[in-house]
Amino acid sequence: MEAIWLYQFRLIVIGDSTVGKSCLIRRFTEGRFAQVSDPTVGVDFFSRLVEIEPGKRIKLQIWDTAGQERFRSITRAYYRNSVGGLLLFDITNRRSFQNVHEWLEETKAHVQPYQIVFVLVGHKCDLDTQRQVTRHEAEKLALAYDMKYIETSARDAINVEKAFTDLTRDIYELVKRGEISIQEGWEGVKSGFVPNVVHSSEEVVKSDRRCLC
Amino acid sequence: MHMPAEQAFWCLVQICEKYLPGYYSEKLEAIQLDGEILFSLLPRVSPPAYKHLSKQKIDPILYMTEWFMCAFSRTLPWSSVLRVWDMFFCEGVKIIFRVGLVLLKYTLGSSEKLRSCQGQYETMEQLRALNPKIMQEAFLVQEVIELPVTERHIEREHLIQLKKWKETHGELQCKCPPRFHGAKAIRDSEPYPHGALEPSPSIILPPGATLSPKGRKSKPRKGAPKGPVTAGHQANGPLPEENGSLLEPDSSPLHRSKESLSSQESEDTYL
Repeated sequence: MEAIWLYQFRLIVIGDSTVGKSCLIRRFTEGRFAQVSDPTVGVDFFSRLVEIEPGKRIKLQIWDTAGQERFRSITRAYYRNSVGGLLLFDITNRRSFQNVHEWLEETKAHVQPYQIVFVLVGHKCDLDTQRQVTRHEAEKLALAYDMKYIETSARDAINVEKAFTDLTRDIYELVKRGEISIQEGWEGVKSGFVPNVVHSSEEVVKSDRRCLC
Repeated sequence: MHMPAEQAFWCLVQICEKYLPGYYSEKLEAIQLDGEILFSLLPRVSPPAYKHLSKQKIDPILYMTEWFMCAFSRTLPWSSVLRVWDMFFCEGVKIIFRVGLVLLKYTLGSSEKLRSCQGQYETMEQLRALNPKIMQEAFLVQEVIELPVTERHIEREHLIQLKKWKETHGELQCKCPPRFHGAKAIRDSEPYPHGALEPSPSIILPPGATLSPKGRKSKPRKGAPKGPVTAGHQANGPLPEENGSLLEPDSSPLHRSKESLSSQESEDTYL
């Protein structure tokens, strides 16, 4: 079984196809960068523990989604059960930046009655010479939607940790303040105190889901 | 695959238009519908796996989208992909369903296996990292052949799930053509006799090369079921050539598949 965690947050990663969603997640969860990455079909899953304070670990369940338009009907069903999201665009692809609005509208329409804490991620920042979106305009857009903005590179491992851990911290603060709460039938935030799903035909394994603090 | 680019292209066209119509359309309704069909067939193959997936509310599209859309080419080891695709070209989508059911059965089919996937996420992880043993060519093909899931079962479930779909989602937005279960069904559906067309080779033979008396020209080396576009490549013979070539890459005059194709008009062509 996994190490002990205080909460489990489900995050979703969205954005146009080829902006680098899968590569960013792989860098974060597996610590490596694949030169060749096949397009995601449907949805994919990753997980990692993040220590936000000494002894306080959060388990991140990261849902990777296919960016292609045709998969939208499948992927949009999973916005609802996410507490946080990374909205990616590619700084060398102006179109993917222009579509950020569309992605936000799309999620807004499908997340209710819950909310998702988003961070705007300008990806592939190692390709600065081919940049088509300035940091300034991205920051302006993020501000307009009340999001943080960060630039990352999966290839050079720039800000990848920070993008995920900052988002995790922000969500953790909201949970602590009671602005986000654990709800029955919602997968966004789970507590590590109790086993969340137990298979009925099996014995209940409680021992490794205790709280550390 | 092991065929020239042009033939591979026409195989792809046939997959998209005849074998898996609607799979690559805008809303992916056909895939979602097949997910429901797959799930509804699961109790007859593995009740524990069905019970487990139902309990954890794991939507079929979470695990079967890549399986079905890529016809397992991203999931299985290459040797198994080749076997599965041979069967798939011959028999149609039934093979894809059977492979999916076999993988579910051997991944989630016993309480011992379920012990390690108590949560939804753990279950998804198991289905993402399948045990290589169950994907191994000999084992998988044997299981697929023996699995008692027929075209009729699939068609029956298709009607049931389609009705449910219309109740919950409304009419299908994608008006896709009917699905053909394999090479024979495709061939039978073509309105003209194959022999009536003149061969129109698109691959130029080197000078001096002679054609066989049967007029077999740019023959597919593998099970390339032919649609109208490539029908001109077909030989004049009455034999279901696409299947013959599937079994006999160099197509000797002996078509081994003749018996099995013509002798059994039941719901299953071979299996």
